[in-house]
Amino acid sequence: MPGTGLETLKVLIVEDNQHMRMLLRSLLGSAGLHDVQEAGDGSAALNVLATRRCDLILCDLAMKPMNGLELTREVRKSKKSANPFVPIIMISGYTEKHRVEAARDAGVTEFLAKPITAQSLYSRIAEIMERPRAFIRCDSYFGPDRRRKAIDNHYTGPWRRQDDMQDLEVR
Amino acid sequence: MAKTQIIPPDSYPQMAGKSDAAKMSRALRSQEAIQRGAHVIEEASHALREGVRDHVRALETAIGDHQLTSEKAHEILGFAATAGLAATGRIADGLCRYFDEMEKLATAPDMEVIALHVSAIARAAYAEDEAIRMGDMVAKELAVLVHHKLAETKAGVEEALTLQGRKRRSQFTPP
Repeated sequence: MPGTGLETLKVLIVEDNQHMRMLLRSLLGSAGLHDVQEAGDGSAALNVLATRRCDLILCDLAMKPMNGLELTREVRKSKKSANPFVPIIMISGYTEKHRVEAARDAGVTEFLAKPITAQSLYSRIAEIMERPRAFIRCDSYFGPDRRRKAIDNHYTGPWRRQDDMQDLEVR
Repeated sequence: MAKTQIIPPDSYPQMAGKSDAAKMSRALRSQEAIQRGAHVIEEASHALREGVRDHVRALETAIGDHQLTSEKAHEILGFAATAGLAATGRIADGLCRYFDEMEKLATAPDMEVIALHVSAIARAAYAEDEAIRMGDMVAKELAVLVHHKLAETKAGVEEALTLQGRKRRSQFTPP
């Protein structure tokens, strides 16, 4: 789809399954995202990220030697990280609640359950562009605001508790 | 304790500026993009099936190693349906759920349940034409088996906990 601007975005696919990598690359290409790099695990991805700008990471959860959670933590927290704010979509067949929560706590932006469809992948990317989330930095966490839904649906103000005022700072 | 800092979206680099982002997301959500994407998946399905079958072979040789069997089952679940092997995906999903539940119960999975699933996954992945009809039936039967086995295991775990509780109470001497 020329002229949409999607062709300017740089994407990194981190997936150990070559068939899934191929499929994701083809799906992105079909939507106009042609500038795509691939890595077979988290550590290979860090090498790519050290040398190349990246606007979006699509990342598997279960990989060896470095899995998707470790990669996400490195991207978000490492001093070497070129862009700790880069959106990360975790794509995984492991969909149990505790794994999704672990991904969220590591700092992923979106979680996409396999098997994927074109619509599910594209809508996750669109969601990130339409509604970018605030980032939270505290002692134990750095990443997108994990309370997105509660805030979006029911609450319009910046504070959730009265005592938030004491230890909260908006940059 | 350091202050919690909220960094609003306008204060860090975005994938695209607001107007470009709106244009891009409209393009991604368009029916045209979705249909093209579905066509891409359809075109890739033959190669993906070969990939699923590679994983099925690995799954068959992994029996006995629960960790590896679970990993392979999750891999198959991850793209069998995308490859057009819906029944294979459903049976793999059943096996994954079984592994996950048994992990929660901290109990070793039953080899018979695993072997039945692995053999059904292999049959469904190779017999393309019959897989849809037969695979659905097999997936349902295996789901019933998993349900019974999990109920059995949960009852066993609960009984063990109750016995432990009774034992503790009987050993308790009031001050």
